[in-house]
Amino acid sequence: MSDNVIEARGLLKLYGAARAVDAIDLDIRRGEIFGLLGPNGAGKTTTILMMLGLTETSGGSVSVLGFDPVRQPLQVKRRVGYLPDAVGFYDHMTARENLTYTARLLAIPRRESHGRIMEALKNVSLDDVADKRVATFSRGMRQRLGIAEIVMKRAEVAILDEPTSGLDPHATFELLEMIRGLKKAGVAVLLSSHLLDRVQSVCDRVALFNKGKIALMGTVVELANQVLGAGHPLLVEASGIDVAAALRGVEGVQQVVSAGEGAWRVVADRDVRAAVAQRIVSAGGALTKLSDLQPSLEEVYTHYFEGERHAA
Amino acid sequence: MRRTITLLALLAAPILTAGQVFAADPPKPAVAAAAAASTAPAVPGLWLLTDYPSQTVRPGEATTIRFKLQNSGIAPETLAVSVDGVPAGWKIELMGNGQPIAAAMAPTNDSVALQLRVDVPKDAKPGSQNIVVHAKGATQSIDLPMTLTIGKEVPAKLAIKTQLPSLIGTSKSSFDYTLSVTNDSGKEMTVALAAQSPGNFQTTFTEGYGTNEISSLPIEAGASKDIKVKVRPPQEIKAGDYPVLVKVSAEGATAEQKVTLQISGQGALSLTSKDGRLSGEAQVGKTADYMLVVGNDGTAPIENVEMSGSVPADWKVEFNPKTLPSVAPNEKKEVKVSVTPSEKAIAGDYVASFRAGGRGDSKSADYRITVTTSTLWGMVGIGIIAIALLVLLGAVARFGRR
Amino acid sequence: MQREGSPFTGLGPVFIKELSDHLTSVRMMVLTLFVIVFGAFPVASSLQTLRTVVGADAYLYLRIFTIEPEQVPISFITALNFIIPLMAIGLGFDSVNSEFNRRTLSRVLSQPIYRDALLLGKFLGGLMTLAVGLLALWLIVFGAGLLLLGIPPRGVEVARAFGFLLVAIAYGGVWLSVSMLFSVVFRSTATSALCALGMWLFFFILWPMIANALVLGFAPREITTVDQYVGIQQLAIALQRLSPGTLFSEALLGLLNPETRTLGFMLPQQMRGAIPNAPLPLDQSLLLIWPQVTGLIAGMIVVFAAAYVVFQREEVRA
Repeated sequence: MSDNVIEARGLLKLYGAARAVDAIDLDIRRGEIFGLLGPNGAGKTTTILMMLGLTETSGGSVSVLGFDPVRQPLQVKRRVGYLPDAVGFYDHMTARENLTYTARLLAIPRRESHGRIMEALKNVSLDDVADKRVATFSRGMRQRLGIAEIVMKRAEVAILDEPTSGLDPHATFELLEMIRGLKKAGVAVLLSSHLLDRVQSVCDRVALFNKGKIALMGTVVELANQVLGAGHPLLVEASGIDVAAALRGVEGVQQVVSAGEGAWRVVADRDVRAAVAQRIVSAGGALTKLSDLQPSLEEVYTHYFEGERHAA
Repeated sequence: MRRTITLLALLAAPILTAGQVFAADPPKPAVAAAAAASTAPAVPGLWLLTDYPSQTVRPGEATTIRFKLQNSGIAPETLAVSVDGVPAGWKIELMGNGQPIAAAMAPTNDSVALQLRVDVPKDAKPGSQNIVVHAKGATQSIDLPMTLTIGKEVPAKLAIKTQLPSLIGTSKSSFDYTLSVTNDSGKEMTVALAAQSPGNFQTTFTEGYGTNEISSLPIEAGASKDIKVKVRPPQEIKAGDYPVLVKVSAEGATAEQKVTLQISGQGALSLTSKDGRLSGEAQVGKTADYMLVVGNDGTAPIENVEMSGSVPADWKVEFNPKTLPSVAPNEKKEVKVSVTPSEKAIAGDYVASFRAGGRGDSKSADYRITVTTSTLWGMVGIGIIAIALLVLLGAVARFGRR
Repeated sequence: MQREGSPFTGLGPVFIKELSDHLTSVRMMVLTLFVIVFGAFPVASSLQTLRTVVGADAYLYLRIFTIEPEQVPISFITALNFIIPLMAIGLGFDSVNSEFNRRTLSRVLSQPIYRDALLLGKFLGGLMTLAVGLLALWLIVFGAGLLLLGIPPRGVEVARAFGFLLVAIAYGGVWLSVSMLFSVVFRSTATSALCALGMWLFFFILWPMIANALVLGFAPREITTVDQYVGIQQLAIALQRLSPGTLFSEALLGLLNPETRTLGFMLPQQMRGAIPNAPLPLDQSLLLIWPQVTGLIAGMIVVFAAAYVVFQREEVRA
């Protein structure tokens, strides 16, 4: 078995003539957080449902943990945790009862399930409301309960569909922390979202969905390189020197743009921080800041779709 | 003839006395005499009359002597009555209508019944005593002399006879004999009735045409009464002649009459099923066989026993064998009856009547047949459920496991 | 393409969860109250009437179910004929669409179970709830009978009454699967409830009239032969039997009135020679009502299959 927990090859879903998912190839590696990004209706949820065997594929193949969700959905679902968009629980039951029901469906032995449920609830800080009815829970608490379900399930892969939608910033922060916690526990996480900045912070790799196709895939930096054509943007702040002039001739530096009073934005095709610092200092300038600029996924996204629009 | 003359002589006596009494009034006796010469009742005058002016009385007993005061064609008149010549120790009373009387009055052309009650003392000596009954009115006076002879007691005597002493019948018949019992003694007697019959015979006595059972009946002196003896032999009795002695007895007198029952043999069919149960089951449209047993509980064979049956409409019934040539007494023969309920029969209980009829007797038995419907439709029903399940399984195969 | 694993994986937990949901729900309490009010009056009145009846009746206990007391113009089984559908609809009308609406469906289906188990578990849970309710009612009736009549029922009476219980459950099952079908077809619980209740009213009020009208339409203008008459009668009966209520009451008639020999039309000549009022043995009564029972069970299965197919073809995505 390869190191991929999910492998999709030419995965296809047709609704009549419409191609909801158009022959995508996708690999998700063990222990990474993978983001499925794209506007609503781009085919993210359909892809997820196909991976879980909850909807039929129209073509191609998909393998989850070595199982075919089309033929062995029970094996897949036993190992994969799923947190649907706006997850629902039985309101008349308590958090613990809801998880107990899931535990029964998972055929977890009774004596084991109690401990696992409490552990999972503690994990998501819901242990103090374990015996409260879910009807009283806020949206964020429900999402956390969904995470708890995945924890209790001891899933190897967690698939989270729009986990942060409709949450306030604090709840979002908490939830992302929990997703990181999942990763720490060795769980491969596949999450879909249309909220880029939040996802960016946790995702190791992302796939950009557009009209049923994966437009771009890779780390955020790779995407930025691909879309923005830049590998390593730097922010340089210095005084007493014209940085643009000083950096002329430094190998790898492609572009130097002024970014305000005493600030320049440097674009290079490799990590040129050491060379830049040396040049400025040797030119007699006072270097006050040299930082690696994170490429913004938002930027990539906007840029990419603008490009698409132009192409169209 | 002699009796008549005596009677006339007796009648003549009062007339003569009357004639003497009415001597002062010649035309009337003349008319009376003339009338008496032509027809006796038409003789005008008053008379005291009795059937037996000379009677026997027994010591220590009371005897009632009936007589009457007859008025022929004269005006009614109160007559004082009395008895003369009562022997010492005797007690003779004049009675009318059961009560002691002292006078009597007879309407014109009518009579009054009177009695003399004669109590004879036990120690009365044999011999004859003459008494005279007087009737004395304002214008007339008549006498009736009588002779009472103290005699020995006449022994009681009974007679019994029948015109049909021998009857023929079967063991099931009842034999009715009519017997006439006569009391030939001088007084009324209560006659006890009894019958001596072979064991287990039932005998009952009834009076004449009455229905009440009696064991004795009173018969007046000299009278006779008809009694009926009903004899029922036991059912299982064999053919043969059986005598029954009918005995009547009263006060030491007995009489007997032998009657004979000539019992001829008779067959009695019985019809049951082999196991005694008169019920069975049958399936709709399918023939069911039951074993019947035709027996003869009687004493004579029954010939030509034919089986028949009545069943509900559209049913079929067959017997095998259809006829039995003969069933001897105490013999049991099996007959198979095959009943086929109609195809359209509805489940439930029905009555079929089977009949065995032979010469001399017939017997029918009601058979309760529980009709059951075929379980075929039950199977079809299970099939339908199975098809429904197959539809479901097909759906599972086609759409299942999502 | 054959999927692996039993389609009934997880059936047990679903069944138990549905059962406990139903049994603890307020709705079930309301339905129980309803049943008690509707059932208690006829039973109490029947018992009152039966206590005054002198003379041995071999099937005294069964009369509790069947006699129409003077005070209340309906018998217990007539009341049940009416209430059981209501109970079943109450239990089933929101069984699937509420899962959609609460967004629990996809979460539950992401557990290692198939939809088959979910739908079947829900159906069996509802059926079991009905069975529990009816059994309780049945025991109450028998207990009241024991208390007020003072004699124990005979074995055959218990057997027949038990058959009655099974038929009642099957009848409830038909309506449960109907209401579940609607709950699968319509996302809105209100629409689903309305449709199920509409169907109930249709079969109880409208269908007898429609069937009559149809028979009148089919009947020749003048009936000249016995065969024609029989044909029309049979058509009328056949049309009436399309209603589950008719099947239910016919089956109960055969079970609880052992004297019943036929449920259909009967010519007088078929009764000739029959011993009136002779009760049928139990097996014959069962054979008699078997088509009705078959119809109920098969109807239940077929409607459930329809609900199943619709449910399986639906998208999980809410």
